[in-house]
Amino acid sequence: MIYGDKNLGVIVQNITGRQGTFHTELMNAYAREVGGRGVVAGVAPGKAGREVHGVPVYNTVREALAEHEATASVVFVPAGAAGDAVMEAAHAGIELAVVITEHIPVHDAMSAIAYAKLHDCTVIGPNCPGLLSPGECKLGIMPAHLARRGNVGVVSRSGTLTYEVVDELTRAGIGQSTVVGIGGDPVIGQTFVDVLARFEEDPHTKAVVVIGEVGGNLEEEGVRSTDLPVVTYIAGVSAPPEKRMGHAGAIIEGGEGDARSKVSRLRALEIPVASRPSEIPKLIREVL
Amino acid sequence: MKLLEYEAKRVFAEYGIPVPKGVVIRAPEEVAAHLPDLGDGVVLKAQVDVGGRGKAGGVLFADAKTAVETARELFSREIKGVPVGEILVEERLPIEHEYYVSIAVDRSSRQPVVLFADAGGVEIEKMAEEDESAVRRVIVSPLLSDIPPFLMRELLGGAPKELAPVINSLYHVFQGKDAMLAEINPLVTTARGVYAADAKLIVDDNALARQGITVNRDLSEREREAEKHGFSYVELDGSIGVIGNGAGLTMSTLDLIEFYNGRAANFLDVGGGADQERVMHAVKLVASMPGVNVIVVNLLGGITRCDEVAKGIIAAGVAPTVIVRMAGTNEEEGRRLLAECGYRMLDSMDTAVKAAMEVSP
Repeated sequence: MIYGDKNLGVIVQNITGRQGTFHTELMNAYAREVGGRGVVAGVAPGKAGREVHGVPVYNTVREALAEHEATASVVFVPAGAAGDAVMEAAHAGIELAVVITEHIPVHDAMSAIAYAKLHDCTVIGPNCPGLLSPGECKLGIMPAHLARRGNVGVVSRSGTLTYEVVDELTRAGIGQSTVVGIGGDPVIGQTFVDVLARFEEDPHTKAVVVIGEVGGNLEEEGVRSTDLPVVTYIAGVSAPPEKRMGHAGAIIEGGEGDARSKVSRLRALEIPVASRPSEIPKLIREVL
Repeated sequence: MKLLEYEAKRVFAEYGIPVPKGVVIRAPEEVAAHLPDLGDGVVLKAQVDVGGRGKAGGVLFADAKTAVETARELFSREIKGVPVGEILVEERLPIEHEYYVSIAVDRSSRQPVVLFADAGGVEIEKMAEEDESAVRRVIVSPLLSDIPPFLMRELLGGAPKELAPVINSLYHVFQGKDAMLAEINPLVTTARGVYAADAKLIVDDNALARQGITVNRDLSEREREAEKHGFSYVELDGSIGVIGNGAGLTMSTLDLIEFYNGRAANFLDVGGGADQERVMHAVKLVASMPGVNVIVVNLLGGITRCDEVAKGIIAAGVAPTVIVRMAGTNEEEGRRLLAECGYRMLDSMDTAVKAAMEVSP
């Protein structure tokens, strides 16, 4: 597994919001199931002293970390304040910030990621489902019951499409080491290159599924950077050009960003590309 | 959202970037009153949001005698199918040299990137393709409020130093206006100084509210209606309606329909955390398009709860057949609710799409 194991202490920023509360409960249910530490504290400015599903709430990240041992934060702060929340976490010493929030302005994302880097804080997301290492830990909103422990890594720009692929793998009897959603926005903290480098160092990961989308060329960059066996799937081959396909990252930018040319460039590198998600397990078996 | 040239030039001027003298007219006769101010030679530029405007006949030159007639001609044209409603009439600059400069978001480095070329007025992609060294690029930390002089020197190479303050102002525009792209092509030198002869500015859709922009013009009316509910919605020309959650899964569902040689009528991404009411609106909106006779709902719960989705589908109660594929948070409850009301719920994306094809081959 990568980014952390069951000993990882986690805080949730904006724990008192609807999604923060809901997913704190699910994350801790998972932690109990696997014997992990889970969410040890929450942050919500002005709401110190409360409890959310038994988790104590603090006004600031600094105050939470003064009382609890945690190195990771899951950020559910609304878009306008999420960049600030990441910087607060990094400043207070958080080493891994997983940003679930969508619709964060891209300039805020750029600043927050640059600032976090100065403080040696790794950012996953924004606009991502987080990560799940089956049997170890869950940071974010992935439905844990779809996953099963194993030796295939999954890294994806998508949220729900990731669940689809994990579901296909599990049904085919192929377990996962860690599933990482890196986020669909144009600017994200961890890219395919970063996650694949971590998978390469992980003794449990024998192959990786890379799930991409229209927009940019980060999939290709990632695949080129690793020696691990990789299987890819790119969503959006039927997407009409010049259309917004849902989130900011999935805009076809004419030429390099469109799915068809991505697929042909990957095939040119002799990387297996699945034509639909249900084909992925077969291709994974072939490279393992 | 993309701003029109004259809107972008107003922003540039606010940030101290020199732009040519100009006026926006909405009828040919209006040009006459402004001619004394603009001088004898003028340029008329159709304010339409299309690429390659000049080549498509959207830019015309005129003098004092021909200006009204030329404006009439331009108003009568369609530029790549877009009618001309507004024309920017500008003074003609005594251009000495044309350069290219733009600032964009670099996905790989996650930072702003400044591009500069010693030749402007041409398509930058083509120039870069032909000669990669023709376009210089520097990455600027988003934590800096100015382009540092050492990077500016690297960017300009042998180009005149007078361009530097204009490029730095463009960086201020990029930061201050939440731009995805700020471009001047061409950036020109004249005996009177440096000017932005053209202007392009694309504002981040996620920052429109704080930029005081209330209506996103890049969206069609129906897409805007969908956006009010927090959906992404696109219309195509087939007979299968598609609803998904998340851009990736929705696109993948669309791809699968194409894989099985079907045709999607439209698709809608309900986004994260869709509640009962939003799902109901989504189903109604997709069903309201003429020609839709089956709808595939493909949802995987993460931030979305399946029970809420089921209630929304049931509440919508639309005429086309609704085929549901769901998995995730509160899945069992969602499954139970749908089964009670006689909806087909399938276990995989492939089977759901195949079932839809049976209804609407």
